[in-house]
Amino acid sequence: MSEIKKYLFHYKRYGLLRYLSHLETTAMIERVLRRTGVHFEQTQGFHQRMKLSFGQALPTGIIDLSGLFVASSDRLSSIQELDFINLVNSVSPRGFEISSFEEMPKTFKLSKALSGYEFKLLFKTVPPSNMIDKALKVNDVWIVELYKPFNSSVPKNGEFGQYLTLRSKALLSEVQIDQSIGSR
Amino acid sequence: MNVLKNLVSILDRVRKPSRYIGNEYNAIYKKNADVRLCLVFPDLYDIGMSHFGLHILYDIVNSSDFASCERSYLPWMDMQELMRENSIPLYSYESYRPLREFDVVGFTLQYEMSYTNVLRALRLSDIPLHNSERSDSDPIIIAGGPCTVNLTPMKNFIDAFLVGDGEEAILEMLDAVKAGTREEKLRKLSTINGVYVPEYNDGVSRRIISEMGKAPRAQIVPYTDVVHNRGVVEILRGCTHGCRFCQAGMIYRPVRERSAEEIYDIANDIAHLTGHEEIGLLSLSSADHSQINEIISLLKNLNDVSVSIPSTRVDAFSVKLANAVSSVRKSGITLAPEAGSQRLRDVINKGINEKEIFDALEHARKFGWKRVKLYFMIGLPTETDEDVMEIGEMLKNVKKMGFGNVSATLGVFVPKAHTPFQFSEQIKPEEAQRRFKLISWARRFAKINFTDPRKALIEGILSRGGENMSKVIEMAEKRNLIFSDWNEMFKPNEWFEVFEESGINVEEIMSAKDIEYEFPWDFIDVGISKGYLWSEYERALKGILTSDCRKGCTRCGVCMNFDVRNVLKGRIAPKPIEGDAI
Repeated sequence: MSEIKKYLFHYKRYGLLRYLSHLETTAMIERVLRRTGVHFEQTQGFHQRMKLSFGQALPTGIIDLSGLFVASSDRLSSIQELDFINLVNSVSPRGFEISSFEEMPKTFKLSKALSGYEFKLLFKTVPPSNMIDKALKVNDVWIVELYKPFNSSVPKNGEFGQYLTLRSKALLSEVQIDQSIGSR
Repeated sequence: MNVLKNLVSILDRVRKPSRYIGNEYNAIYKKNADVRLCLVFPDLYDIGMSHFGLHILYDIVNSSDFASCERSYLPWMDMQELMRENSIPLYSYESYRPLREFDVVGFTLQYEMSYTNVLRALRLSDIPLHNSERSDSDPIIIAGGPCTVNLTPMKNFIDAFLVGDGEEAILEMLDAVKAGTREEKLRKLSTINGVYVPEYNDGVSRRIISEMGKAPRAQIVPYTDVVHNRGVVEILRGCTHGCRFCQAGMIYRPVRERSAEEIYDIANDIAHLTGHEEIGLLSLSSADHSQINEIISLLKNLNDVSVSIPSTRVDAFSVKLANAVSSVRKSGITLAPEAGSQRLRDVINKGINEKEIFDALEHARKFGWKRVKLYFMIGLPTETDEDVMEIGEMLKNVKKMGFGNVSATLGVFVPKAHTPFQFSEQIKPEEAQRRFKLISWARRFAKINFTDPRKALIEGILSRGGENMSKVIEMAEKRNLIFSDWNEMFKPNEWFEVFEESGINVEEIMSAKDIEYEFPWDFIDVGISKGYLWSEYERALKGILTSDCRKGCTRCGVCMNFDVRNVLKGRIAPKPIEGDAI
C-alpha cells in the first residue's frame, strides 16, 4: 500500500454551473472524483463521505476561476498529473474542470493558507462612484477588481449593479506555498 | 429557437437556480433524430428527477436509431412568473428548445394532484390545452403512468394515453408519428397495443412486458439535492400480496424479478458511471424478491457505496434485511401496519398479525434502532371506532417496548380504481377529524401526524371522477391551484369552490358502489376482472384472507388474460389456473 498523500486541486466552475450553490458544488466534485475510480480518503463516521476541504464558499451566480479543494489519496502518486487531469475532465459536466493539482505537506491546511481572493465585477453601465476610480473600460464593459480577505463578505451577483461576477484569483500565504512539495 | 440566452438573464433572480439549468452529467443531447420527444414530469425538478420511469424511457429512446428524448419539469412559481415576464416558454433541459417545437410531448401522470400542473405546463409551452384545438403544427401530446388506469378526467387534454409498461410501446408510438398528418398519426397510434386515443379507441388493454427489460445505467446525476438523490436499480416490478386497498399491487401485476447477478451488474455500472454514493433498490416490496439475501450479499462487494431499501414489509425478515444494508447509524425504521386491529388488517388482506408486527419491532429494537415510524390509514371499509382506538393501543405498546421516539402518520384511505376497494366509499373530512380525535390520547406515547383529510378528498374526487372532471381541472389551473401536493400551495377551500361551480356531485362520486355500477374506468382493462375485484371486496367485508399468488394462483385474471406469469428468478412460479378468470 502506498503512502497517503495530500493534494491541493485548482478548479474552474463556469457557464451554467455558476448557478450551483456551494453545497451543490462540493457534492458535484465528490461525484466527479468518484467517477474517476481513483480512491480518495473518506471521512470516518456514520455516513462516510469523501474527505474534502474547500476554500471560501461562494454565493450562487458567480463564476469561479480560482476554486480550491484539498483531498488525500494513496493512489494518485502512481498516475501522471496530466493523465489524471484528463481523466477527471472526461467525467466532468460541462463547466467544471480541474486545471492543476500539487502535493502538499501533511500539515497543510487550506483555511490557514488562504489569505484572500481577487474578484472581477463586470458592468454594462458606469460603475458606482466609489468604484469608478478602479474601473477599467474594455470595449463596452467596465471591469472593477476587488480584493477580499479570506472569510470576509463576498460580492453577490448584482450587488453593485454588475451583471457578472468572477472570482479570478486565490491568494495563498507565501509561507504555505514554500511548504508545498511542488507541482507533480 | 434556443431559450438559453434569455434564461441566463433570469436565473440570478430565482430560488435554487440549479434546478433549471440542465447540463447534468449523463444527460444526452442527440442533435439529429427523425422524431423528437420531450418527456415532462409535471412537478418541480426536485421531485421529477427522482422518478425512475422517466429515466427508463429516456434511456430507451436515446438508444434508438431514430428518436431522441429530452426532459422538462414544471418550474416553481417564482420562475414561472419571470418566464412569463420575459416571454420564455417552457423548454427542454437538453437543447433548451421550447416544448412546442418537439414532435411529441409526453407527460407522466403519477398522482392526481398533478393534473393541473400538466395544464400549466401546456400553457407555459403555448400549446393548446384541448386535444380538439390542436393542429398539424402542434406536438402530439401523450401521457402514461399509473393514473392512466382512470384516464377519463384527462381525456380532453391528451392526444394518446399509454396504459401500462412503456418500455416497448414508447418506440412503437414514436415510430407511428414519424410522418403524416396529425390525423394519420393519431390513427396509427390508436392501433398500438396499450395505447388509447380518445378520438379513435373505445377501450384499451394494459400493456405488459413479460420480463424486465434494459435498465438505465448511465443515470443522469442531478446537482440539486433531489428527493431521491441516488442511483436506482429496479429489482422487481409488481406485487402479489393482494392488499385490497393498494392500486399499485393490482395494476403492476404480475411480478417480474431481475436476477441477483443482473442486479449486481447494473448496480456496479451505476456506481462507476454516476459516482453516486448510494444505490437504492426499487420495488413495491424488496423483501419479496426470491433472491434478496443473495442480492444483499453481492452488493456488499461494491466499494464505498451504500445500499438502501426503501420499501419493506412489516416482518422480522424485512427488519433483518434493513439491518443488513444499513451501515452504522440506526436513525429510524419505518413500518406500515396500515390498520390498528387484526380484524381490519384481515379486511384489507394485509396478511400480517399482531405477533409478526411486534416480532419485527423487537428485532428492530435489538438491532439498535431508537426511532420507529408507523403508517396507518383511517376510514378503511368496515372501520369502527374500536379499530381506530387500537391504533392508539399499538402505539402505547410500541413505546413500552423501549423505543426512544415513536411517531405515527395517519392518512385517510382513498378508494382507488381497479382495486377491490373501488366499490367502497371514502369518509368525509369531518368524519376523519372525529376519528383522529379518538386516538389523540395516544399522543402521550407517540408523535402523531394526521395528513390533511381535505387533500385526500380532493385526490379521491380527481381519481374517481369521469369526463366532467376535465372542467374542474381546467378551472382549477386557471385559479392557480397548481402544485397542490405542496402544503404551501394547497388551498382546499378554493378546490371545493371549483367542484361546486362545476356542478360536481361529490356525494355521488365518493359513495359506495355495487358491481352493476359503471365506473369511468371500466373500459380500461388492466387484466384483473371486475368480477374478481367484487369477489375480493365481498371477502374483505367478511374478513376472509386471500393468499399471495406466489403460493398459488388466485385467478385475478392477469396471467390468463395477457398470457404472462410471475417471473421469479429464485424459484419456479406457480402456473396460472386454467379456465376463465372470475
